[in-house]
Amino acid sequence: MSISRRQFLKATAAGVAIGLAGPPGFAGAAEEVDLAVISGEPAAATAKALETLGGISRFVKKGQRVLIKPNMSFAKGPDIAATTHPLVVAAVARACSEAGAGEVLVLDHTLQRAELCLERTGIREACRGIPGVHCLAVQDRKFFREVKVPRGKVLERVEVVRDLLDDCVLISVPVAKSHSTTGVSLGLKGLMGLIWDRESFHSQFNINEGIADLATVVRPRLTVLDATRALTTGGPGGPGEVKRPNLVVAGTDPVAVDSFGVGIVPWYGQSFRGRQVEHLLAAHQRGLGQIDVDKLRIRRASV
Amino acid sequence: MRRAVQSLSLLLFTLLFLLATFRLPGWLPADIYLRIDPLIGLTAVAASREMIPRVLWALVLVGATLALGRFFCAWLCPLGATIDGFDGILFRKVRRPGPSGETNLRKTKYVLLILIVGAALLGVSLAYLLDPIALLTRFYALVLYPAAVAVANVLLDLLRPLTGAMGWVGLSHLRYPQPVFYMTGLTLLLFGGVISLGLLAPRFWCRFLCPLGALLSLIAPLGLFKRRVSAACTRCLACQKACPMGAIPADPLATRAPECIQCRTCAAVCPERAVSYPASLSGMGEHSRFDLSRRGAIASLGGGLTLGFVTLQSPFTFLEGRRQLIRPPGALPEEAFLRTCVRCGECMKSCVTNTLQPCLWESGLQGLWTPKAELRMAPCEPNCNVCGRVCPTQAIRSVSLEEKNHAKIGTAILKKEQCLVWAQNKLCLICDEICPYNAIVFRPIDGFRRPVVIASRCNGCGYCEQRCPVKGDSAIVVVPDGEIRLKEGSYIREAKKLQLEFKPDPGDDRYLIGESGFEIGGQPPAAPGGLPAAGPPAGTAPGSLPPAGKPKGFL
Repeated sequence: MSISRRQFLKATAAGVAIGLAGPPGFAGAAEEVDLAVISGEPAAATAKALETLGGISRFVKKGQRVLIKPNMSFAKGPDIAATTHPLVVAAVARACSEAGAGEVLVLDHTLQRAELCLERTGIREACRGIPGVHCLAVQDRKFFREVKVPRGKVLERVEVVRDLLDDCVLISVPVAKSHSTTGVSLGLKGLMGLIWDRESFHSQFNINEGIADLATVVRPRLTVLDATRALTTGGPGGPGEVKRPNLVVAGTDPVAVDSFGVGIVPWYGQSFRGRQVEHLLAAHQRGLGQIDVDKLRIRRASV
Repeated sequence: MRRAVQSLSLLLFTLLFLLATFRLPGWLPADIYLRIDPLIGLTAVAASREMIPRVLWALVLVGATLALGRFFCAWLCPLGATIDGFDGILFRKVRRPGPSGETNLRKTKYVLLILIVGAALLGVSLAYLLDPIALLTRFYALVLYPAAVAVANVLLDLLRPLTGAMGWVGLSHLRYPQPVFYMTGLTLLLFGGVISLGLLAPRFWCRFLCPLGALLSLIAPLGLFKRRVSAACTRCLACQKACPMGAIPADPLATRAPECIQCRTCAAVCPERAVSYPASLSGMGEHSRFDLSRRGAIASLGGGLTLGFVTLQSPFTFLEGRRQLIRPPGALPEEAFLRTCVRCGECMKSCVTNTLQPCLWESGLQGLWTPKAELRMAPCEPNCNVCGRVCPTQAIRSVSLEEKNHAKIGTAILKKEQCLVWAQNKLCLICDEICPYNAIVFRPIDGFRRPVVIASRCNGCGYCEQRCPVKGDSAIVVVPDGEIRLKEGSYIREAKKLQLEFKPDPGDDRYLIGESGFEIGGQPPAAPGGLPAAGPPAGTAPGSLPPAGKPKGFL
C-alpha cells in the first residue's frame, strides 16, 4: 500500500476539518466510515461490522497470510469476559478464510498455560473446521524475533512474534476489559500479546509509553473490538463485574476503536473518555490515530 | 502369544500414563495398574488404617491370581515386560552365571514383603520404594516422560524448516512444554539398578526381590492351571535351564508353584512336548510351600517394625505442619497423607503446570518422593483437578473443580522488605493482576497504593509467588498457614465455615476500591475537551507517586 495509515489519517482529519469529506479513492464508498458500531449477537454483529467497513476483502487479499490476535491470555470461559468471545474470533476468521486468505493464524502469547487457554476460552473449538484457520498459543522465545523501534521513546527494540514479520495482515480482535495497570485493556494494550518480554513493560519503564511505542511497529490493519461483554472491574484476569453492552466496534484506526471503547461503559464505576487513558493519549500524540470520538464518522446499526 | 500380550499391556500402561493430563475424561481410570496392585492397596490400607474404596480394585488381581496363578508377572506386569525387553536387547548375548537353581536368594523377596508390611503396620509407607508398578510409574513420570518431551522438541526443531516450508502451521508452531523434576537422578538410579540386575540372571528382580511378586506367589499355588510333566520326559533339563524364574527344581517333574509365573517357556522348549498346563484343583505337594522359615519371617517382621520405628522417630514427625511445604490441593491431613501416598508420581506427571515436584528430604525419610507444590516455579491452576483424579490411593482426594479450588493449600504472605512497592516505592501490580481470586488489593498507605493480601480470599494457588518480578525469592510467598486438609467431607462447606470466599461476587472490586479511599461514581474529573495535565504525568514513571484519585492507567 502506497499510503501509510498515518498519512491517511492526517488526510482524513484535514478533510473533515475543511468540510470536504473526500477520502482517498482507493477503497471507495466504504471509507466514509471510520467506525462500525454494531449491536447484536457476537457472530452476527461481527459479520455486520466487517460488512459496514466495506467487507473483509478490503483488508485481506487472496492468498495473503492473516494473523488474528484475539485475547486468549487467560484460561477462562467467555462469561468471565477476560478473553475475546470465541464467536467473534470465529466470525473474523471465517470471513478471512472466505475472502481467500492463504493462511489464517489465530495467535496469542498467553499468560497462562497455552493448552489450557486454547481449550477453556472456547476459541479453538469455535474455529475448528474453518478452512485454513489455525489456533496457536506460543509460549517459547524461539517463536519471536527482534525488531527495532525507531520511533520508540522508551522501547528501542522488541521481540515480536515471527509470523508477524513475514508479510502478513494483522487483525486485532481484543475484548473490552479493565486493567489494573493501564486502566483499560483494548486493542493497543492487547498488542502486548504479540511480544516476548512483557515483564519489562511492568518493571523497567512506563508501560503506557511502552504500549504507544509498540504500536508504532505492530500495526493492525483492522481492529475488531469485542464489547459484547465488558469486564469493568477485576481486569485483566477477572473475575470482576461483567457488563453486557452487546457491541462490536470495528475500524482501521486502532486509537479510534479503543477511544470509542473507553466510552462504552464506566470503568471501575467511573466514566472516562479516550483522552483520559494514558496509553491511548500517548499513542494519539505519536500520531497513531484519532482519539477524539466526536471527530469520527461512526455508523451504528443493530442486527 | 505371551510376548504380544505383554507388549500390549506395556503399551496400555504407557498410553494410560500419557492420557493422565488435565484433559483426562472422568470415566477413564488412568491409574488402573496402580489400583489393581494388591501390595499398594494392602500397605496403604494397613498404614492409613482406613478403608480406601479405590484400592478394592486390587481384588480383581487377587481373584485372577487365585484362578490363574501368578500369571500377572509374565503376562501383564509392565515392569516385567520392560525387564524382558531389556533382557532381549542388552543381555541376551551376555554369559550369565547367575545363582544356581537351588539358591536361597528367592527368600529375599519374602523378607522384603514382610519388612514392608511390618513397617505399614506401624503406619509407615515403604511399598513405594520397591513396588514394581509404583517404581515404573515413577520412572516414567520423573525420567522417561521429560526425556521423551525433550527428544520430541529436538525433532520438532529439526523439522521446523520443513514443516514451515510445507505450510504445516500447527506442526511448525508446536512445542511441548518441557517438564522438569527434582529427584530425576535418584529415580533413574533405582530403575537402572532393577534393570541391570538382569546382568546376573534373567528376571533377577522378579525372582528374588519383587515384593508384589512375593505377595502374589503366596496365593499362586491355588491357581487352576498347573505344570504337569508327562512320562515322555527324558530329564534333559532343557526346561530347567530355560525357566526364567528358577521354578523348576532338580527334579524336572516337579514345580515350585509359588515361583511359576505361567509363562509356559518350559512347554515351548521341551523337545518331547512333555510339559502341559491342564486345569487341576489339586495342590502341588512340598513344592507349593514357600521358602521362608518361621524364624526368617519373625526376623523380617522385626526388621520391618524397626524400620518403621526409625522412620517415625525423627524431628520431622514433630515438625509436621511447621515446615514450608505446600501439598497438592485435596491432600489428606499430613500424617494420613504420608501413610497413604505411594509415590507413583502420577500426580506430578499429570500436573498441568509442572508445579508438583517430588520431595527429597523436606519431610524426612517418611516423605521421600511425596508431591509438593513448587509455587515459585509454577502455580496451581484453578482449571485443573487432575492430581486427585489420578491418585490410586486417594492420598490426594479426587474432587470436583469447585471443591478443589476450595481445598486451600496455603496463604500468600507479603514480605514487605522485599516488595518493590513497599520497600522501594516502585509501581508494580503484577501479583494483583495475576491473582485469579482478587485476593490482593491496593490500599493507599503513606501516600502510595500498596498491595495487601486478603487472606480469606487466598486459596494459595501461587500465581502471585510465581509472577513476582523480584529476583530470587519472591516478595509474596505461599505458606501452609490456613491450608484446608480434610479426610472427608466438603471443602466448600469447610471454607464457608471458615468464612473464606474464593469466588468473589462480580463488582466486589468496587467495594474494595471504595474501602481503599478511591472515589466511586464521582464526576469524570477532566475538563471537557481539554487535556489533563500536560503530557504523561511524572507520577506514573517507576519510582514516583501514582495518582491517588483514580484507578491506575487513567489520567
